[in-house]
Amino acid sequence: MITRALTYGLAAIIGVGAGVTSALLMSGLWSTKQPMEFSNINVDGWVSDFAVGSEEASPYVRARVARHGLLALAKSEAVYFMRNVDEEGLPFSEACDYRISGGALPAQWWSITLYQTSDSMLPMNDDGALSIDATSIVADSASWTARIAAERPDDDANWISSRNSGGFDLLLRLYVPRDDLLERPETALTPPSIERLSCKGDAA
Amino acid sequence: MIRWIGPLAVFMITAVGAHWATLAYAPSVIMDRALSTMKNRGISEHAFTTPQRITPQTQAVVRSSPDLFYSLCRYDLIDAESVLRVTMGEWSDYQSLSFFDGNTNNFHRVRGEDKSVEVQLVGPGSTREGSVQSPTAKGIVLIRRLAPTQALFDQAKQVAAGDGCELIAP
Repeated sequence: MITRALTYGLAAIIGVGAGVTSALLMSGLWSTKQPMEFSNINVDGWVSDFAVGSEEASPYVRARVARHGLLALAKSEAVYFMRNVDEEGLPFSEACDYRISGGALPAQWWSITLYQTSDSMLPMNDDGALSIDATSIVADSASWTARIAAERPDDDANWISSRNSGGFDLLLRLYVPRDDLLERPETALTPPSIERLSCKGDAA
Repeated sequence: MIRWIGPLAVFMITAVGAHWATLAYAPSVIMDRALSTMKNRGISEHAFTTPQRITPQTQAVVRSSPDLFYSLCRYDLIDAESVLRVTMGEWSDYQSLSFFDGNTNNFHRVRGEDKSVEVQLVGPGSTREGSVQSPTAKGIVLIRRLAPTQALFDQAKQVAAGDGCELIAP
């Protein structure tokens, strides 16, 4: 009788552990989970979920956004696209330099900000170059380029500093998005492209 | 084999229950912790707190934007008679007033470019008409203003003198 009770008790304990662990892993609350992995929109490697910020979001999305994007707005006000790998699918690293290029984006205002992957916070540096945005970008007609690097480049006016970030991701904010972006993001959005230029330790 | 059916059923039921309970309560636990952190950092209840510009040194919330002016007000409308009057001053560029409940949902938002905005907020127990109702007693009101430079941020701070977040009842 005691053995039977112990078996049931053990089954309950293991069940609770399995349930909590699977929820943490599947929602992205577990720290090893990549942000936005449950995203349902992917435009050339930039991923998003337009349910962010609203009650429409699945329990998994809501839990993950609460952890990684607290106080995010609903899609009528802003949409967020994230990217954490370069054009070759390699994770962004402070040890590498990148060129990011883009054009006009379908929103009233946009910005691209760098966050460290480890805790979704801004990297601890005093470069004053953690983002570029539609009002400050130096552009050639409709197109623009910027450098993502740990040190200020000599030849680029537009710079996002990755110093002290380790690994990082980029968050594209689109405020007051156009209707076609909300309805057909895959065709309405031509997101910035990102090219890895060099990494420390590369052969000269 | 049959003797394992009972423990296996207990395992399945507790696993599914714990899985969904974790998902259901995670946002409110995270929001509750965020509210406590904000309180400890001096974010007022029923008043907007004049913000510092977002930098790596001043950031308090994940993924804050260094290009935006954020002004926060915590609220607690546990009293069914409570009414919170929220005012957003006039700003010539993009600005918005957004309301987040205790489960992190952005349940109401108003844009206010070139105009001031006033919203009256009541708690979940209120029957008052003509007001916005918060799904939970506690939450956060957030003003965002586009201010990507120090000069614009300083201007936004001046405009913030016209912002308000105050209990007008009971």
